[in-house]
Amino acid sequence: MSSLKAVWETVWGLLVDDGSLAIGIVVALGMTWLAAIALGDAGRDQVGWLLVAMLVVLVVVNLRAAGGSVRRRIS
Amino acid sequence: MDAGALAAAALPSFIASAVEFVEATTIILAVGVTRGWRAPLYGTIAAALTLAVIIATLGVTIVSVVPEHALKMFVGALLLLFGLRWLRKAILRFAGIVALHDEERIYLKEVAELRAQGLERTGFDRIGALVAYKAVLLEGTEVAFIVIAFGAGGASALNAAVVGAIAAGILVIALGAALRKPLTMVPENWMKFGVGAILSAFGVFWFAEGLGAEWPGDALSVLAILAAFLAASWISVRMLRAMLPDGAEVAARSV
Repeated sequence: MSSLKAVWETVWGLLVDDGSLAIGIVVALGMTWLAAIALGDAGRDQVGWLLVAMLVVLVVVNLRAAGGSVRRRIS
Repeated sequence: MDAGALAAAALPSFIASAVEFVEATTIILAVGVTRGWRAPLYGTIAAALTLAVIIATLGVTIVSVVPEHALKMFVGALLLLFGLRWLRKAILRFAGIVALHDEERIYLKEVAELRAQGLERTGFDRIGALVAYKAVLLEGTEVAFIVIAFGAGGASALNAAVVGAIAAGILVIALGAALRKPLTMVPENWMKFGVGAILSAFGVFWFAEGLGAEWPGDALSVLAILAAFLAASWISVRMLRAMLPDGAEVAARSV
C-alpha cells in the first residue's frame, strides 16, 4: 500500500511540482482550446503559436516570481 | 511511421530515461556495496516486472482505445506539465538558486543510512531488497510515464520509446556495475534541461494538432517551438542571475 502511495506521489510530483506553474499551463491550454473554437477553421492553424507565446511568458513570469521570492527570503 | 518519427520517440525516451536510471543506479549501488548484491538484484527485478505491467496495461490501453485527436491533446498536456517542470528546475539550477543534483552526496548518505540499519548475516536481506525495489519503482514510474508519453503516437512509437528506455537502462546499469561508483560524470542538469525543452516543444505540437491545427512544415515546426523555449530559458537564467547575488542557494522544495 505504501508503495502504491509512493508511486501516486511520484506521478503527482512529476506533473505539479510547482502548483502555480501547473495551473498556468492548464489555463493556457484552456485558452488555446477556446481560441481554436472561436477562430474556427480559418484561424485554427494559429492557435499553436498562441500557445507557444503564452507558455514562454508563463515560464519567464513564473521564474521571475520564484527569484523574487528567494530574494525576499535572503534579504 | 517513418524512421524520423521513430527516432523522435526513441531518442528523447533514451535521454530522459537515462537521467532516471542514473538516480536509481546510485541507490542500487549503495545497497549492493553495503549489503551484498543478491537482495538489490531481486528488488530491481521485482520493480522492473511491476513497471512492465504498468506500461503494458496503461500504455497499450491508452494508445489503442482513446481516439487520436483526444490522445494527442491528452499527451500534449501531460508532456507540457512534465517538460516545463523539468525545464524550470534546470533553469533554477543553472542560475545557481537550486543546488545541482549531487549523486556522490546521495550515494554517501544512502550508504551511511544502510550501514546504520545493520545487516543480518542469515536469511534474505529484506531491507536491501525493499530499498532497491522502492528506488527502481519510483524512478521507473517516471520512465514509464516518459515511455507512454512518447509512445502515444501509436504502436510503432510505443515500441520505439520502450526500446529507447531499455537501451538507456542497459547502458546506465552496465556503466554503474563496471565502475562500482555513482555516475557523477553524467551531465544530469544539461540532460534534464534538454529533455524538458524537447518534451515541452512536443507537448505544444501535439496539443495544437489535437485541436485540428496544421503546422507549417509539419514536424519541422517542433524546431521553431524548441527555439522559443530555449530563448525563454536563456532570458530566465540571465534574469535570475541579475536578480540574485551569488550564493543565494535555497532548497529545491522552497521555490
